[in-house]
Amino acid sequence: MIYLFQLVNGIGLGMLYFLLAVGLSIIFGLLHFVNFAHGAFYLLGAYLVYDMTERGLNFWAALLVAPIIVGALAALTESVLLRRIYHLPHTFHILVTVGLALMVQELVIILWGPVGGNVPTPDALSGVFILGDFIYPQYRLFVIGLTLVLAIGLWGLLEGTRLGAVVRAGSESTDMVSLLGIDILRVNTAVFALGAGLAGLAGALAAPIRGVEPFMGVEALGIAFVVVVIGGMGSYTGALIAGLLVGIVQSIMTTLWPEGARLMIYLGMGLVILTMPRGLLGRA
Amino acid sequence: MSTQAPILAAEKLGVRYGSFLALSDVTLSIKSNTIHSVIGPNGAGKTTLFHALTGRVRASSGRITLNGQDITHVSDDRRVPLGIARSFQVTSLFQNLSVRENLRLAAQGRSPLQALAPWRGVDPGGHALAVADEVMERLELTHVSDRAAGELSHGQQRRLEVGMAVAAKPRLILLDEPTSGMGIDDVEAMKALIRDLGRDHTVLFIEHNMGIVMNISDTVTVMRAGRVLVEGPPAVVRDDPEVRRAYLGNMITGDLA
Amino acid sequence: MNRASLHFLLAALVAIALPLFMRSGTLASEVLIFAMAAAACNLLLGYTGLLSFGQGIFFGLGSYAAGLTLLHTSLPLGVALALAAIAGAVVATGVGWLSIRRQGVYFVMLTLAFSQFFYFLAYTFKDITGGDNGLLNIPRTAIGPFSLGDSWAYYAFVALLFLIVFAALQRVASSTFGRTLLAVRDNEERARAIGFPVRNFKITAFAISGAVTGLAGALHALLIGVAPLSNIEYHMSESILIMTIIGGSGNLFASVLGAGFYVIVSDLLSSIWPRWLLLLGGLLIVVALFMQKGLWGLIERLVDALPMGRRSPIESPIQPESEGRGI
Repeated sequence: MIYLFQLVNGIGLGMLYFLLAVGLSIIFGLLHFVNFAHGAFYLLGAYLVYDMTERGLNFWAALLVAPIIVGALAALTESVLLRRIYHLPHTFHILVTVGLALMVQELVIILWGPVGGNVPTPDALSGVFILGDFIYPQYRLFVIGLTLVLAIGLWGLLEGTRLGAVVRAGSESTDMVSLLGIDILRVNTAVFALGAGLAGLAGALAAPIRGVEPFMGVEALGIAFVVVVIGGMGSYTGALIAGLLVGIVQSIMTTLWPEGARLMIYLGMGLVILTMPRGLLGRA
Repeated sequence: MSTQAPILAAEKLGVRYGSFLALSDVTLSIKSNTIHSVIGPNGAGKTTLFHALTGRVRASSGRITLNGQDITHVSDDRRVPLGIARSFQVTSLFQNLSVRENLRLAAQGRSPLQALAPWRGVDPGGHALAVADEVMERLELTHVSDRAAGELSHGQQRRLEVGMAVAAKPRLILLDEPTSGMGIDDVEAMKALIRDLGRDHTVLFIEHNMGIVMNISDTVTVMRAGRVLVEGPPAVVRDDPEVRRAYLGNMITGDLA
Repeated sequence: MNRASLHFLLAALVAIALPLFMRSGTLASEVLIFAMAAAACNLLLGYTGLLSFGQGIFFGLGSYAAGLTLLHTSLPLGVALALAAIAGAVVATGVGWLSIRRQGVYFVMLTLAFSQFFYFLAYTFKDITGGDNGLLNIPRTAIGPFSLGDSWAYYAFVALLFLIVFAALQRVASSTFGRTLLAVRDNEERARAIGFPVRNFKITAFAISGAVTGLAGALHALLIGVAPLSNIEYHMSESILIMTIIGGSGNLFASVLGAGFYVIVSDLLSSIWPRWLLLLGGLLIVVALFMQKGLWGLIERLVDALPMGRRSPIESPIQPESEGRGI
């Protein structure tokens, strides 16, 4: 039973990891842009929910609004600064986004202090779900449900719609897409905002479970990297499978060796590096 | 035509990229001290062949032997001390380093472990520099010895490309389209250089310029779609109907005097 | 005088000048300690073209190694320092070996992920590392007959080590090994094609960088008497990298400038405004986009603009440049 509990935990955690990583992956896949500020989006999403609920706003409203704000901020940053550096070698993407991430982290501390805080689970979901012997917090089930819906929706977006087709085509050849008359600049901004928004949403969803503190952006970035290295950059399915794998392994390890659970994901990554040159499904 | 054992031999060599078969069932042998050219339409697998022979890509099937020694699984950097060196089709030099330094490195690459010692000064015996200077002279690049490779003219860069291979003092030199993008004068100079190299090395080169191919090669291998179509002396190859068909009849030109 | 000697002279001048201009021996030592760490980082970045977010790993491990040796054994200080350098070298070899199995961006991401791994490792094994508290009360007694208790006495010791390490790194950089690293940075494929086992070169660079960074970490632990968790945290890796970039990745002395700038400005600003890192983030962006040769490049431009005209020859093409050659 404890394993079932951890398995479900793992799926929830894994889905959050997926949301975090898929944004990074899409941004790299289309824009060939390495976004080391991805953790900062996660951080902002979490803190925006914290701020809004502290001010008395309804959690659901906060959950909806926070990723949108993060996406908007990302879109702004992209159009003002980042799009000017796409053509530069990757080192510059990294340095600039690291600088941005540092600035965001400091801003968070300026606005909300260095200590962090808690976000209470919304009343509607504060209870537990009981099925026979299985008892599970409702909020976490909600997270799993929502993220699954989002994953399906994202899949539909990428495979079914014109935007998705453009994204997929764009990641093959940006020039070609421009020649077809599609405003690639707007698509780029939209994709960047989408990726950021997903990270922000992951932070917002995680906030009631893990609380908020200013340095969680770094850990999120590290995890996103692990998932992307294992699953392969540029792959939706890779992010999904790797995210779930990492989440489940980490959760199950919590029963066997609680303190070392967080280490496992990095060890797993090490194993993948040794054995699989492109990660599970990578194409980049 | 020497009757010794071949210096390099490939047996049923195959290279697969995912599901795409770039090279299949390629068997050839390069005889020592000959000038051997590889020709074929684009996409025939010529550069892939070079990559496989030098170890830049791993052979998916088949065997490669150098002087009888099986090198199929030897990594590319370790094939250099064994006596193979190459130039690239797309110029690949150390852009920010000087011409002399480029060649010194190429010469040093023959004994790379010496360079791995962090305490050893640069070229204490002066050996690598001597080779670099010698190669620069042979290639007529001495006057630009201190200029950064990235600042050379295209023709000079292509010459330096060849020089990088020569500086390793190999037995076998692989040149991938050495005259690509060159003007007429440079081409003539390159032709003379290859012929000259053929005197003390075995040369295997890829070319599209039939004037050179037919003029200086001892043996020509024609490739198409990843396979060897025909192989033989230039005259034989030129008249072969299969080859004509492969090239759509009208690409074998150039003087054959 | 050749370039390397000039830079060494400048480094020596810095070591002599710091006590004259600074009131705190501790701060002066910190400058030189991070100068070592930044120079070691530059060996990877400026010379080998490897952007490593893992330097904090080696720094922190060096601190722990020295701390553990001095707290739990009666081995002398010199041995503690040596062990720290060895620990740094060994771990760097491992981290380097694994990380270079990927190229470009992946490599950078891996170093960051490893940085996180070691942080959690240190946190998890709190019995050894002291967890959040770190290792406390690390004694700083003496080296041979010289007592190191006084902060300026310790500075003299640090300065001596700094100059030795700096000269050694210069030697490495100008050796045939160092020149090969430059080639690897310039065109890795070509380096392989001419016979260099590039992987081994990268790993060796990592080992050297790890050893120096580990030593710096040990000296830092002795300086503040503590081996804190923060020395192995991501932020330490980030800071060392920022110092290296702000200084300029073109030569080793530039790293000294970068470290000096960071440590001194950090000290000045943090008492005025604790969130000064906000400005640093902005500075990093500015330097990355507009001042790629860092502080050193700025100084070069100033010197060239002076009416005495060019006094040094144009940088020969074989020196490392940071003209945005990417990873």
